[in-house]
Amino acid sequence: MNTKWVGKRVKRIDGPEKVTGELKYMTDYHFDNMVWGKVLRSEYPHAKINSIDIEAAKNLPGVICVLTHKDIPGFNGFGIVVPDQPVLCSDVVRCTGDAVALVAAETLEIAEQALSLIKVDFEPLEVVADAEYALTDSAPKLHPDGNLHSHVKINNGNIEKAFEEADIIVENTFYSPRQMHAFIETEGGWGVMDDEGFLTIRCPGQYAYRDRMQIARSLAYNPERIRVISSPIGGAFGGKDEITVQIYLALLALHTKGRPVKIHLSREESVIAGIKRHPFKVQMKTAAKKDGTLLANQVKAIGDTGAYASLGGAVIALAIEHSCGPYKIPNVDLEGFCVYTNNGIAGAFRGFGVNQVCMGIETHMDMIAEKLGMDPIELRKKNVYHQGEVSSVGHIVKSSVGTYKTLETAENCDLWKNREKYKSEVSEPWKKRGVSVATSFHGIGMGIGLPDYGAASIELLPDGTFLVGVGCEEIGGGNSTAYAQIAAEMLNCDISNIKIVQGDTQKTLDGGTVTASRSTYTGGRAVAAAAPRMTELLIQTAAEMLNLDSSQIDLKPNHISAHGEIIPYKSIYKYLYDHHQATRVEGHFYLPKEKEEIKGSGGAPHHLYGYLTHVVMVEVDTLTGETEVLRVVSIPDAGRVINPQGLEGQTEGGAVMGIGYTLYEDVLIENGYHKTRNFTDYIIPTIRETPLIETFPVEEPEQSGPFGAKGIGEVVMIPIIAAIMSAIYDATGARICHLPATPERVFNALKDLKKQKVQSSR
Amino acid sequence: MKSIQFIVNGKECTVLCPPAKPLLDVLREDLGLTASKECCGKGECGSCSVLIKNEVVCSCLILAGQAENQVITTCEGVGLSPNLDVIQESFIAEGATQCGYCTPGIIVSAKAFLDGIDHVPSVGEIKTALGGNLCRCTGYTKIIKAVQTAASQKISEPETIR
Repeated sequence: MNTKWVGKRVKRIDGPEKVTGELKYMTDYHFDNMVWGKVLRSEYPHAKINSIDIEAAKNLPGVICVLTHKDIPGFNGFGIVVPDQPVLCSDVVRCTGDAVALVAAETLEIAEQALSLIKVDFEPLEVVADAEYALTDSAPKLHPDGNLHSHVKINNGNIEKAFEEADIIVENTFYSPRQMHAFIETEGGWGVMDDEGFLTIRCPGQYAYRDRMQIARSLAYNPERIRVISSPIGGAFGGKDEITVQIYLALLALHTKGRPVKIHLSREESVIAGIKRHPFKVQMKTAAKKDGTLLANQVKAIGDTGAYASLGGAVIALAIEHSCGPYKIPNVDLEGFCVYTNNGIAGAFRGFGVNQVCMGIETHMDMIAEKLGMDPIELRKKNVYHQGEVSSVGHIVKSSVGTYKTLETAENCDLWKNREKYKSEVSEPWKKRGVSVATSFHGIGMGIGLPDYGAASIELLPDGTFLVGVGCEEIGGGNSTAYAQIAAEMLNCDISNIKIVQGDTQKTLDGGTVTASRSTYTGGRAVAAAAPRMTELLIQTAAEMLNLDSSQIDLKPNHISAHGEIIPYKSIYKYLYDHHQATRVEGHFYLPKEKEEIKGSGGAPHHLYGYLTHVVMVEVDTLTGETEVLRVVSIPDAGRVINPQGLEGQTEGGAVMGIGYTLYEDVLIENGYHKTRNFTDYIIPTIRETPLIETFPVEEPEQSGPFGAKGIGEVVMIPIIAAIMSAIYDATGARICHLPATPERVFNALKDLKKQKVQSSR
Repeated sequence: MKSIQFIVNGKECTVLCPPAKPLLDVLREDLGLTASKECCGKGECGSCSVLIKNEVVCSCLILAGQAENQVITTCEGVGLSPNLDVIQESFIAEGATQCGYCTPGIIVSAKAFLDGIDHVPSVGEIKTALGGNLCRCTGYTKIIKAVQTAASQKISEPETIR
């Protein structure tokens, strides 16, 4: 397809305001009459609240209001699926992030002092610190229905028979860390109520309309009288999908007499109160035939969702749906448990459960290949499903599947082909290098049972430019630029004539979340649905103006031409305005869905998946156990690429986030208390840890997507985890199944290996 | 409260504030310069990076009183649209900004680094110079490229043409 904007390295439209710092994030606003809000968090991970005394705090000069659960006009709870998290706790606290009271004061210092004056009589209760213990009868129940939040199960074929007939079986247990999103902008924003009771909340989020619903529910307030602005965002990665401080801002704004109120969490408060990635324990048993054909996979995954549900149930369901990799395994027994504990709160995070299971199946693929003496890429190519084939969870995959092509590309990339040479070039004699490959996939959109749609508007402005409105926020990934490219392409105009507005319940239509790798796909399709309506409006109007038939009108770049006459778009706007006609069109798109849900799966299968293969090279210091990732090759199948630069931004950022997950990152919680507090003890990769990253997209166009595009935002960080684990093995012979693979863990594994070798040689 | 003078982005300013107020808060709240961000408040992330006499500092760790009479440059002082610095142009061209929240701090660090050298830096040199700035979106690859691009442009056009 010959295109002018789509598929090109178009510079980000929000670049200039970001590199100068002129862009105002919601946490950047400051007003002379602004008041500061603060949240009183629980002292204990699990305790009964006997009483809350706010008198002293209220009487502190400079305090404007102190609010408790008694001041919540509506429903005291929030949560995307099950609203089981109290806005302000009334009788019991279940984690140290739990909010008990709110304060608004003239200064931040006064607000902090007021918090210290609130007397809460807590009666500590037994702490549930472990997900497996939580499922036993002796553990205290954290919620009325017990500690099992959700349970999913997928069965296909005959697992027992398959294990009996198998030539080879591998079985392992994998542990994964509690990763923190570590967005650079902590949770925050501001809210204000005007004289007429109209409430505006400006707070970065991943779905303004749902945030508005949750605010309205707690305030018992007409949502039509609440405006939520949720874009731009200083990073989210799923961590701002759930309510963060929006309801606190709204409650305080009811009491600040029209003055704006601001909350901006410190990093320490963000670490304690913000959601995290679910730590998993995954037991996996995989069987294959001598020729490498996969026969069976048995998985039991337990995810620690912490004190509240948020999206925990959906995370476990997605993990189980993806727990066999992009392969066709005929016999499966897959089971997932989402469990409440007092360990903070876990929820949505880039990858959404797939990271934790991919490390299992991909490690097993490597072990099977090694035992059979097969090339690991050959083994994968033999077992992947193709479009039209049946997946491991038992559905026919109708959408585009690029796994095979990504594996072929991996096979032919320089790093893989010359891996023996690169491995021999160690930087020090005591360091060892390994090269490995892994592949994975990730569902795009919500799966079965949830509404999933995109919506966009295009408005002709007085100066003849276009305002494109999409609900999906600019989370950082560059969807605004992708939308502008699609609009410019279809409206046949220069990209500078496109302005984008996102994430504003007053200015954009409800187009769903910026999650689930869906925003380029759904938002882009919605823009692509609106654009022909705009061109039709332009042509029809020009025809009316010139008294011609619309077939005589030509849509030229940035203008209309007819009979040699040029009509600029601003003349069309003026004509429409003078004739009291609409200048705005809409486009809507429903994500294609599978018709039949897999029984017990909690929403599987997805109709659409993105695929990706990683090849990595690591160097392990055998004296210290330190692992360095030196090279990464990322081979995505994102369908047609809308913007190669934006795609690389995802593959590079995802790779480095995956390195952090595999080697460094874990929020440590002991008996319900966070031991990790800030970036001093939570280590994310710096520029020094950045390897050489190459991206080779294979474009397997997806018919349903805009210009053939699919989503990519999550799978970019998934296979690299397993690839690094296998590369450590390739380098040293030590398998690390407990992440992060810290120097201590690698060092101890090397020590054990030595011991085993000594023993076996005796 | 104390009346404190600074020269910020070439302009003399006087601020009435407690001398123990962090410079970052003075910039953001009193002077309305919000390019510099607070992310960790502990000098770990570099989001609040500014220049004091051409040296990169974390403005969350500097108190207003310590910065009295100092010459301070924030990202806004490096360049504002449409008159961007070559470093800012390169960050856009190479796609080195995503969510953008860390970007001003990185631009400031890159500015100090490139002003102090007259060659196109190696990847290793860039990694040392920007080692104190955290970014969670980009994976840093395009930032490295942008700094190199800016350096080669500076060398080919030594005089800043505005």
